[in-house]
Formats: sequence, C-alpha cells, structure tokens
Amino acid sequence: MSQNGLVSGVAALPEADKRLLKLFFAAALGALGLGVLFGASTALARAGFVDLGPLAGYRAMSGHGVTIFFYWLYFAQAGLLLALAAAYGAPRAGFALRPLAAIGIGLMAAGFAASLYALYGGMPLLYDAPPELARERSAAVAAFYAGYLALSAGLFCVAAAAVATTLRPLGRGESWSVASFASVAWAGLLMVTAIAAFTAFGPSLMWALGLGTMPTNYSTAWHVLFHNMHYLPLMATVLLWYVLIETLTGVKSILGARFSKIVFASYLILVPPTSLYHMFLEPDLAEPVRVVGSLLSLFISVPTVLVFLVIVVSLEAHARAQGARGLFGWIRMLPWRNPAMSAIGFAAANLALGGALSFVLIQEKLAPLLSDTFFVPGYFHFLTVGTVTLTFLAALVYALPALTGRALGQPGLLRWLPPLATLGLVLFGTAGVTAGYLGVPRRVLDVSYAGDAPAAWGTLMSIVGVGGLLMTVALGLYVLVLALNLLPLKRGAGAAYPEVRWGGEVALDARAWTGPLAIAVLLALMVVFSVGAFELMKALPLEAIGGAAHH
Amino acid sequence: MSKTRAIAAPGPTSERHFTTRRAFVGATGFGVLGLYFLWAGYGAAPLFPGHGGEADGHGGHGGHGGHGAAEPGMSMAEFKELSDDFVKAYAQPDGSVRPSNDGHGPVDVYLSAFLWGYAPAVLRLEAGTPYRFQMMALDVAHGASIQLGSGSRIIRLRPGSLVEQELTFQAPGEYLVYCTIYCGLPHDRMQGKIIVEERRA
Repeated sequence: MSQNGLVSGVAALPEADKRLLKLFFAAALGALGLGVLFGASTALARAGFVDLGPLAGYRAMSGHGVTIFFYWLYFAQAGLLLALAAAYGAPRAGFALRPLAAIGIGLMAAGFAASLYALYGGMPLLYDAPPELARERSAAVAAFYAGYLALSAGLFCVAAAAVATTLRPLGRGESWSVASFASVAWAGLLMVTAIAAFTAFGPSLMWALGLGTMPTNYSTAWHVLFHNMHYLPLMATVLLWYVLIETLTGVKSILGARFSKIVFASYLILVPPTSLYHMFLEPDLAEPVRVVGSLLSLFISVPTVLVFLVIVVSLEAHARAQGARGLFGWIRMLPWRNPAMSAIGFAAANLALGGALSFVLIQEKLAPLLSDTFFVPGYFHFLTVGTVTLTFLAALVYALPALTGRALGQPGLLRWLPPLATLGLVLFGTAGVTAGYLGVPRRVLDVSYAGDAPAAWGTLMSIVGVGGLLMTVALGLYVLVLALNLLPLKRGAGAAYPEVRWGGEVALDARAWTGPLAIAVLLALMVVFSVGAFELMKALPLEAIGGAAHH
Repeated sequence: MSKTRAIAAPGPTSERHFTTRRAFVGATGFGVLGLYFLWAGYGAAPLFPGHGGEADGHGGHGGHGGHGAAEPGMSMAEFKELSDDFVKAYAQPDGSVRPSNDGHGPVDVYLSAFLWGYAPAVLRLEAGTPYRFQMMALDVAHGASIQLGSGSRIIRLRPGSLVEQELTFQAPGEYLVYCTIYCGLPHDRMQGKIIVEERRA
C-alpha cells in the first residue's frame, strides 16, 4: 500500500488519536447502516411493496433523512477532517486539542441518541422538523432540536481541533500543503454552519422547553443552514478526490499549489450567498430576489468544477508522459481494479448527472414545476449516495486499514459495489426525476390519491423502490466489510491495492482535452434537462401569472 | 515524442499546451455559466441589465388584474370568513363550488388549505376564463398543487400568507389538487379537485 500523506500519516498517528478516529468512523458506519435500513423501508413503502402504515412509514422517512443527512455525513466528515488535518501536518504529534475533539464526538454521539429518541418518542416531523408542525411542546420535540444542537456543538469542537492541528507545521516555519489549507477552509465552513444551526434550532428548543415563543422565521433559518449542509459534503468530496488521486497515482496538481488553494477558498465565497434557490416557492420571496437568486446560483458549481478540472488535467498530462495515446486512452490506464478508484470514477459520473439535474432547480421560473416534487430526491441521491457517500467510503477503504493495521476483507467485492450502487441509483434517479417532471410529490408515502393520480405515478414509484433496494444491498455490503475491519479480528496486512506511479514526470506539451470536454458534456446535459422542463411547462394546459404573497 | 519535465519544476506556463494552463482551466471552470443564455432565450432571465425576464415560465406577465381581492395583511380568521362566504355563495347541489363569471376581469376564487383538506374541496371552473386564486394555509404549511396531466403546478402555502395567482385553464378536464408539503400523518389523503368544463356561451 502507498506510503504517502494519507496512509502513512494516519498510520503514524498516536494510539489515542487512532482510537478517537475509530470511534468517529464506527459511529459514521452505524449511522449509515441505520439510515440505509430506514431508506429501504421508505422506498419499499413508497413503491407499495410493503404497507408500513403512516406512523411507521413517516418515521422511516424521518429516520432516513436524520441519520443520513445529519449523522452519517457529519460523523464521516468529522473523522476525515481530523485525519487529513493530522496526516498532512505533523502526524506523529497527533491531534492538537485532542480533549476538544473527544468532547466533540461525545456531543455528536449524544445528539445522535437524542435524535433517535425524538424519532420514536413523538410524531414524525421529517428531518427539517418545523415547530409549527409539532404544534405542541413535548420531550420528544425538545430532544429533536437538542440533538441537532449537540451535533452542531460537537462539530464546532472537532473543526476547532482540526484547525489547531493544521497550525502545528506553521510553528516550525513550514507552509500549509493544499490538503491542510483546504482542511482549514472546510473546517471554517463547518464552524459557520454550526453557528447557523444554533440560529435555526436554538429558538425552537427554547420554545419546546417552554422558555420562549414559537419562532416565526424558522423556515428561512432552516434554508440557510440546509444550503451550507448541502455543500459541505461536496467540498469534502472533491478534497478527498484530490488526496486520494495522489494516493492512487502519485499525481499532484500541475497548476501549482496556490491555484488549488484559491479554488478551495472560493467555496467560502461562493457557497453561503447562494442559498436563495431553496426558497423560490416561498410565497414571501419578492420577484427581484428570485431573479438575483437564480443568477447567483449559477456560480455554485464553479469551485467543484475547478477542482475536477485540476485533477483531470493533471492526471491526463502525467498519463501522456507515461505513453497514453488517443483522446481518452489515458483513462484506461487508471488503476480501475482498485476499489477506491472504482468508487471515485463512478462518483464523478454521478456528480455530472446530479449536478446537471440540480441546475434545473436553480432557475426560479421552473420552481412551480419541480420544487417539492420527487425530482428533488431523484437528483440529490446522485449527489448524496452516488457522489459523496461513494467518495467517503473510498476514503475509508484507505483510512481504516491504516488505522487498524488490518487489511479489508473482500477487496474484489468492494470494487464492484460502486457500479452496483450506481445501477440502483440510475433506476432510482431516472424514475424519480421523471416522476418529478410529472408532478409526483416528495415526502408522500402513498401517491395514489384514491385513484385520482395518474397511473404512471405508481409505476414510477415501483421502479424507485427497485433502485432503492439495489442501493441498499451495495451500501449494506460496504458497511459490513468496513465495520468488520474495525473489530479486533486476526487479519494480516493483505495484498496492496493496484496503483500507478505517474508522479515523476509530466508531458509539457501534452494536450489535456478531457476536462474541457467533460464540462461541455455537463453543460449539454444541463441544457437538455432545462429545455425539457421549459417545454413541459409551456405545454401544460394552464396559464399562470403571479404568485406573490401578502401578510 | 513529448518533452517531459520533473513535476517538481513544471517550467514556465508558456511552454505548455494551452489546455494545461491556469488561465484556460480557470476560464473553463466558469463554462457552466453558459446556461444563462438558455434562460435568456426562454425569457426566464434578463438578457441585458434592465430588461426583465417574463414573469412566468410559460409566457405570463407580472401582476394581476381583477377586482375585489382579499386585503393584504388579513388574518387567517378573516381569510377563513371570506373563504366560507365564497363556498356558501356558489355552492352547487352536488357539494361542489362554481363561481359565477360576470365577464369583467378575472373571477375571484378563494381556496383555504387546512389539516387535512381544502375549502372548497371541489371547484367547478370554465376553460379559458381567468381566475384569480387567493389562497391561504390556515394552520400549518400546505401545498395546493394542481396535477395537469403531463406535469403539475406546484403551489406552496405558508400559514397566514395570502398567495395570489391568476390561473387560466386551457382545456376541460378533472384536475387533482394535492398537498405537496408534509403536514402530518394523513398528509397523503389531503386532496381536492378542480373540474374544468367547456366555457358556456
């Protein structure tokens, strides 16, 4: 196995830090396993394959969102952030402010427990839990908000510990590596998001405890928080691509560290101001604000696209120095038998699909066609499952053996899980997005409406259910293989994963067209999906004007 | 054969092919902004500063006409009273509500959304007649979305916010009205109906 930054750095950590990281990853895998079970139950119920009834069905739907979106993605991010901060800094010195990191995971675990209690202690509120829906104060409602606040406080502690850890090399007169710099930007956005969580959930907790009135601006505070929560995992994903590609191929950016640092820093500038597009259907939003919101939202993809380009251009230029021929011949030379490479490859393809679909939703004129429909889960599973989750799991494929000193079981199986998950995702996403175009609502268990809904709605939900099952199998096997590695079972170091070493030389006069062509394909997909939506909207037998609200 | 150089010293960028230069890569990263021209082509975004896009995705224009609208700032109780009066005034023997069309501007329609239904539950309207829908959620947030065959008009209502939309149905048919914001366990059963008939002479 490689002995570069990620792997050698994690392996060199002090034992106390390794134990802490194992706790983060065990919690992450536990949340993922539970969330996948909740998700499978929801998909099967929506498909009509099982009848859970409204209480269990909406609990499963709530549990899926809470465990995946809040706990899997954030336990994993917290652990990976600490791992990168230490591995690319001074790994033998370990985490700075280790007690703070330990308090962080304690708070996050307490938050998880509180959220699970809230899920089964009261009415299902879905993961956004608006206080107006809860209507009455109760211990379960208070636990819902307290859980999220504990999670946020824990994340803040972990992010602070990560920043402190990255500062160690600076004290010795060294400069930050790209990974360290990007980790600080990531930690900074985590801290901002944790503060946003306090503004969203603090007043709600006070109300639930009988210490305040019901907040009137919960919806806006939620959307601002939720928007940052969308992009944090995506920022983490492209950073992990950056370091994993170096691990898998030895390739560093040919555009220089400063360019990469500017790109990662641009997340801080471009992500927070673009939250408006989640609110286009809100009756209170003025038309000029909607227009500005659409324009700003166009910039949201720029940092992610730039990191993708840096990676692909660097890979292609190095591969050409190794003798790659043809426009795409270099792609075949990548170590596809490596499970992490397989996961990153499918993650990039899924990002293109999910990203292109998401750009239909940033056009405010299309919100009355698609917002609040199954288009939303249809596209975002390409991102949450197909891009972010596959990438986090790819990172764990490398980080866990470095932590435990034990090889993963079933490396051959791991290589095939990304295509299996993507197959499920394509079924789920294609049927889901089509259902969204047809108006199928999200967050509804039974879409028959006593026979008044189009028959196609039920058929599409059945396909969604089948796709969901395939994703469940793929992610369930991932969790099993990775969780077994955390158990103290006897297992040797194992065979090395296939890798290539292209880092030595780069072809100066090499053409690198794959990246720009990929962006052209991405733009073409955006155009196709947007044209489809505009034309469908024009064809509806309804002319509509306005949508303004008054108080 | 390509010239190669150790990556530790990749050399001046002028030696590189333009596809591997920072300026080209940076500019390409902004390529997706090209989608804006599609939006402008559909009238969904201004092409030049000061030129507003169309007010709606399918050819509408801003504002609304008509008369007798509910007053901005009205409370949920006041809106419920208006909505109840509307239902009472135009109730049909089959329980549906059919507002009369006097031919002067858009016809006012009041639609209340509540746990877990709509008032009126069944509306009878005419094709080709503009209706000024005035809608409000009376307890928690609801949807009052309309299924139109090949797609839907998604409408989100927040409690206490009066939402106005001028809607003209182009074709007769029965259209499902359904809630698209989760509002509790019976959310799936929250539905209504709009029956659109041929315009009477």
